[in-house]
Amino acid sequence: MYMSQEPVVRLSNVTKKIGSKTIIDRLTLDIPAGQVYGFLGPNGSGKTTTIRMMVGLMSITEGDIVICGSSVKTDFEKAIAHIGAIVENPEMYKFLTGYQNMVHYARMSGVGKERIDEAVALVGLEKRIHDKVKTYSLGMRQRLGVAQAILQRPKLLILDEPTNGLDPQGIRELRDYLRVLAREEGTTVFVSSHLLSEMELMCDTVAIIQSGKLIDVRSLKAEDLEDQYAETGFEVSEPQRALELAPAGRLEEGRLIVTVNREQIADLNSRLVAAGIKVYGIQVLTRSLEDQFLEMTGGGQIG
Amino acid sequence: MGNFLALVQNENMKIYRRWRTWIMLALIVLLPILFGIIIAVNDGAFGSNMGAWSAASNLSFIYFLVSIFSVVIAADIVASEFTWGTIKLLLIRPWTRSKVLLSKLLAVLLFAIAISVLFTAVTAAISLILFPASPPVNASGPSTFDYFIKMLFYKFIDVLVITVFSFMISAVFRASGLAIGLSMFLLFASGILSAILSPAKYAWAKYLLFNNMDLSQYAMRESAGIAANADGMSLGFSVTVLVVYVAAFLIIAWMVFTRRDVAA
Ligand SMILES: Nc1ncnc2c1ncn2[C@@H]1O[C@H](COP(=O)(O)OP(=O)(O)OP(=O)(O)O)[C@@H](O)[C@H]1O
Ligand SMILES: [Mg+2]
Repeated sequence: MYMSQEPVVRLSNVTKKIGSKTIIDRLTLDIPAGQVYGFLGPNGSGKTTTIRMMVGLMSITEGDIVICGSSVKTDFEKAIAHIGAIVENPEMYKFLTGYQNMVHYARMSGVGKERIDEAVALVGLEKRIHDKVKTYSLGMRQRLGVAQAILQRPKLLILDEPTNGLDPQGIRELRDYLRVLAREEGTTVFVSSHLLSEMELMCDTVAIIQSGKLIDVRSLKAEDLEDQYAETGFEVSEPQRALELAPAGRLEEGRLIVTVNREQIADLNSRLVAAGIKVYGIQVLTRSLEDQFLEMTGGGQIG
Repeated sequence: MGNFLALVQNENMKIYRRWRTWIMLALIVLLPILFGIIIAVNDGAFGSNMGAWSAASNLSFIYFLVSIFSVVIAADIVASEFTWGTIKLLLIRPWTRSKVLLSKLLAVLLFAIAISVLFTAVTAAISLILFPASPPVNASGPSTFDYFIKMLFYKFIDVLVITVFSFMISAVFRASGLAIGLSMFLLFASGILSAILSPAKYAWAKYLLFNNMDLSQYAMRESAGIAANADGMSLGFSVTVLVVYVAAFLIIAWMVFTRRDVAA
């Protein structure tokens, strides 16, 4: 036991073998409470497989997954009671209405009608909730999927590629209510994606997985990023004079390149201007996280 | 956490909110009426004045539809969750797989009971309406109410066995087509199979499932006055064999369903 809060989810040495193939290899991960935690990896890296083990759809070959203190392996009913999830596409009973689908899951969790209405309202599906699901668009089914996942106010919300099929408006709304859930209701959100740009917009932390192995965990919180040093290019009227003001830099294609943090960018800019040098543009040149991600995961190869 | 009956209620909702189910129920009501009228018309033409319970026993051949419909519902109840992909959302609730499977089995059995009761009631009613001629008071054999009910009860036992078989295939292979196919094969080929692998030829054949299905043979033998033990088989023996088979089907269904990964 250490000082801070117990993690909501603790994966320790989780391994999944199917036949002789090792799909997940000794994955160890703690997911702290109240975070939006991203799970990033290229296609076939094992995101869905990990999630299936977390929710008990797949057995765990070795290791254990503990949700709020209960092991998925040995105390399934208790562990799963803390979880709401969508695994891959949110498939619903198409011959039932959206509402009947919700009633179905509400009965299983012992949840009342008011909560169904609340969840439906949160995902903005009130108008169509009494229509049959077969008349829904993919985005509407995705919303219904989120509604069933948050129905019993889970401590942990697991979403497998939830933006699949959502329009920009829908993605924006999803981001917004995930934030509301995390900040205001204290729900921990575990969301998988193969798109880093998406993760950057909604996650506090992202774990990167490749070929079933955890390769990096990094914070995406703004305050952590602010302190990072990055290569920055200044497009200026007199590059040579500018270089004298920033001797640590170099010139490249008529631009001044320096490695600085956010504060220093503003600082250098004002010094340049004070010296009568015109600044036409400032760009952060460091490889984006996206590039780093691609580099780390070795480009296009699957699995 | 809700209570277990809510799970059965859910399964019922998924059965009865489908058109298919209501078409089945409609057929179970309409066909005895239709065939009742046909028999009544023919009977009138020959002027034989059939009694109500003889007519009802004749109509009970339509009961094979109950077997088919129960098999279809059982075949679908697990497999369709996999086909639809809904199994993923169903199994991540605070209920073990065992309890989910039990709720499905109960819903299937309730359906088989409901459709059997419906069939029996409709057949009895239409027979009484169309064949009002009262049977002789001291009647015995196929013209009595007792015989009609006994026949249907035996057939109902067969329906339960074949339904559990279908349920097992559905839970094990997660494919409703296979479950329906194999169950139908067992149902309709059992006559031929019994002839080929008859207990009269091979002593061990009396332990085979299909040689013990169709318990109504014992009712017929009884009413025809034939000794039930001609080939070392009796009603009690067959019932015991069926119980063992059903138990085995359920054990297999449970073992596979609760253990296998869900990768649908
Ligand atoms: N049932 C299975 N049998 C054998 N291999 C499997 C099975 N399910 C998944 N795999 C393999 O496990 C690996 C991980 O698959 P998984 O679906 O977890 O990837 P993912 O990270 O979710 O990918 P995506 O971004 O495409 O959704 C893949 O190489 C896949 O081929
Ligand atoms: Mg996936």
